[in-house]
Amino acid sequence: MENLLELKNVVKIFTRANFAFSREKVIYALNDVSFSMDAEPKVLALVGESGSGKTTICKLILGLEEPTSGEILYKGVPLYRWLKENLKEYRREVQIIFQDPFETFNPFYRVDRILWTVIQKFNLARDNNEAKSKIEEGLEAVGLRAREILGRYPHQLSGGERQRFMLARAYILRPKLLVADEPVSMLDASLRAVFLDHLKEFKRNGISCLYITHDLNTAYYISDYILIIYAGKILERGPVEGVIRNPLHPYTKMLINSIPIPDPNKKWSDKVNIDITQLQKVSGRETVDGCVFYNRCDYAMERCKDNIPPMKRVGEQEVSCFLY
Amino acid sequence: MDTILEIQDLKVYFRTIFGDAKSLDGASLRVYEREVLGIAGESGCGKSTLVEGALKLVKPPGYIHSGKVLYNGRNLLELDDEEFRKIRWKELSYIPQGSMNSLNPVIKIEEQMIDGIISHIDISYPDAKEIALEALSDVGLPSDVAQMFPHELSGGMRQRVCIAMSICLRPKIIFADEPVTALDVVMQKLNLQTIGELKERFGVTVVMVAHDMAWHAEVADRIAIMYAGKIVEIGTTSDIFGKPLHPYTKGLLDAVPSLERRFSKSIPGIAPSPLSWPSGCRFHPRCSYKMGVCEEIDPPLIEIEKDHFVACHIYGGR
Amino acid sequence: MRIFKSSPKFTVGVIIISILIVIALLEPTINNHRLGGHSSTEIGLYETSLPPSKEHPFGTDAYGRDVFSLILTGLKYSLLIGFIAGGLATLIAVVLATTAGYKGGWLDAFITTVSNAILIIPSWPILAIIVLFVRKVDLFFLSLILAFFSWAGSSRQIKPQIASLKERPYVELARVTAFSDIEIMFKEILPNFLPYIFVGFSYAVTGTMMAETALRLVGLGPADIPSLGQILNWALYAGALAQGHYFLVLTPIVILILLFVSINLINVGLDEVYNPRLKQITGV
Repeated sequence: MENLLELKNVVKIFTRANFAFSREKVIYALNDVSFSMDAEPKVLALVGESGSGKTTICKLILGLEEPTSGEILYKGVPLYRWLKENLKEYRREVQIIFQDPFETFNPFYRVDRILWTVIQKFNLARDNNEAKSKIEEGLEAVGLRAREILGRYPHQLSGGERQRFMLARAYILRPKLLVADEPVSMLDASLRAVFLDHLKEFKRNGISCLYITHDLNTAYYISDYILIIYAGKILERGPVEGVIRNPLHPYTKMLINSIPIPDPNKKWSDKVNIDITQLQKVSGRETVDGCVFYNRCDYAMERCKDNIPPMKRVGEQEVSCFLY
Repeated sequence: MDTILEIQDLKVYFRTIFGDAKSLDGASLRVYEREVLGIAGESGCGKSTLVEGALKLVKPPGYIHSGKVLYNGRNLLELDDEEFRKIRWKELSYIPQGSMNSLNPVIKIEEQMIDGIISHIDISYPDAKEIALEALSDVGLPSDVAQMFPHELSGGMRQRVCIAMSICLRPKIIFADEPVTALDVVMQKLNLQTIGELKERFGVTVVMVAHDMAWHAEVADRIAIMYAGKIVEIGTTSDIFGKPLHPYTKGLLDAVPSLERRFSKSIPGIAPSPLSWPSGCRFHPRCSYKMGVCEEIDPPLIEIEKDHFVACHIYGGR
Repeated sequence: MRIFKSSPKFTVGVIIISILIVIALLEPTINNHRLGGHSSTEIGLYETSLPPSKEHPFGTDAYGRDVFSLILTGLKYSLLIGFIAGGLATLIAVVLATTAGYKGGWLDAFITTVSNAILIIPSWPILAIIVLFVRKVDLFFLSLILAFFSWAGSSRQIKPQIASLKERPYVELARVTAFSDIEIMFKEILPNFLPYIFVGFSYAVTGTMMAETALRLVGLGPADIPSLGQILNWALYAGALAQGHYFLVLTPIVILILLFVSINLINVGLDEVYNPRLKQITGV
């Protein structure tokens, strides 16, 4: 069976006009990114900080932006062909959950509209009654009570309710691939597990999920496979237990080290120092030479500066680092 | 330890067309000198309102209903705006939620800091500038940051600037509301560590509001757990994590995902609305240890063991 | 309805303009009653230059017309022209600015160039020339040309806001739900924009009213559609001030001022009430 989703050597460049010197700045948001998700439903976590390119990948997969070069294939067929010839079907099969539970709702309308439009646009029901029952089913599936939710305006629901509402929308659509862009980062830590449990259940119902986040805790909780991305490049990948228990790349180690553990007996043992390169926003890189992590790496070697380390397989994981 | 600030039965309500939303409904706690006190709880529990109320920063339709905030022998809530303004920033400073996004984008960092300093104390421009630069270096920011504009810095660095601003005038207490939310994880660690160190380096007391228990585990000395507008448990960090007494605290600790385990148990039910808090103990609809009395009587906060307070009928209480 | 309570300015503005609109609506009835079927612009209906009296509350002018009735007619037409022209201008501005702001690309460039051209070209002389040379200028034509020169300003303000609304996540959600561009523009973006459109409309109304008055004051414009500006022009031309016909001059001016002021009060009141919430609601 072919892969559900495949990205091959995807490059995305943004040019930013630099008014002062009238010279265009070229930013490599994504630099030679490749990964795939096979047909079996699973949760793939894409972990990276802001500016790492993870949101760009999200937009590329959803067809909201075009890659500068490289290929994106869905079920073996290039994305641009889906968008041109079969847009509705693609939209039906590939959906998204956004990060901000407030901004995804159009404040002018009641929340019901979101579910009704989905049913109408994709012909998911034959008549109003069937539509109503689908809506109720969807809401129940994510733990929301239809009576309390329908008929309200977005600002009348809490953040947790709104995010789950989006899940209900996805449930009704039954996509093949759900791209979740930081879906729980704006929810309380205690509500996150509830939400993620639903995503796990979706997996059991055949919906694969590309879970994009900067939070390793939740990535660990929900995913089967994990990709670590930094400055537009994938630095490490592998089954989640392996990557978390045995991180190979210095960046992965740094990420794991930075996570606070809710246990006062296990506080951070080291102190982070500020590094000048962290002052500016990290938004991709301007050049393609050398390892993207060179500036922040404690183990940086001479060759790291000018050469891009190839992906090396170490056990079940793959890592892009000259240490291996 | 000496008490530096005491909040007594503070109530802050919000006027709505459905009646008053009792967001903070009688919170009492003491802040000790030179400690880092964490205030934890989910969204809507009133933790931000607690700080806004204590600093008299409540804006309409919110209003302070009743209660006292004792500092230096005076009830701060009785001071008029002018007197309170003198204390703000100089003795009690505040890093509000999302402050890194409210820096003025068209004014240089240095200027904003100096503006703030001058508006709170009578001091010359060059002296204010010196204070500002010193504050920046106190948080480890290189001096060129002073000349930059906010948009040139990453979110984490902007937040650091806000921390610098809060220590400019060497206050006695710093109130920080969700100071590292929305930052990348490495930046979170960086800024969190800095906040934790303020105590050692400047002898300042820190009150940190955050919903993420892990942050409190890292930097707080004591933690106050809030639920439904009230404080339900206060204790040292090791007590809260090691011997949580209140069922809500236990639920909270179990619900947070972490790298240590791949499971997490959520608290059943949904958070109640401040327009109609449940009767008696507000947690009773969701509590697995509920008893009859819980529906009727709201348990008071009492000291069960040294410095460990809880408001729950399981542990007696009047 | 809370608006009325929260903003006295809004309330006062609404009251004033409502009164004026009601009077204008009643004009046919009142004038019919007073003039018995004659038009208020008919010359020689009464004795000329009569002082104010019970029959003629504002007296009569040098042409023997009852000033009170004349001014009522003037109010009616000023409002009509203002609203029609303003409405047309707003419609054009909204449609063009939304299309330009949402689609971007060459469509945007084209519309922007056109609107900039209109803004740069001195519109008033051209308006004057058109009115001078076109044989029959009726109400609709007058409103149309006034609107033509008025839409560009609003459009320039609307477009960047639409462009920023385009980036909102709920627009992305609509795209991902296979909405067409037109559906997104009109169903997702514009409804959130209504308060701005309303404000734009009211500015367009005052703007076109002012432009029209300016034309009239130099004697241009169809005399059979007497707006307040036209009446003022007649009065000044006939030397009303010198002859002491103060009512004839002052009343149109006062009413014009009331019109402008009430509309601006409504705008300012709305702005005060909505702006902090607007930013939250529309995210603009």
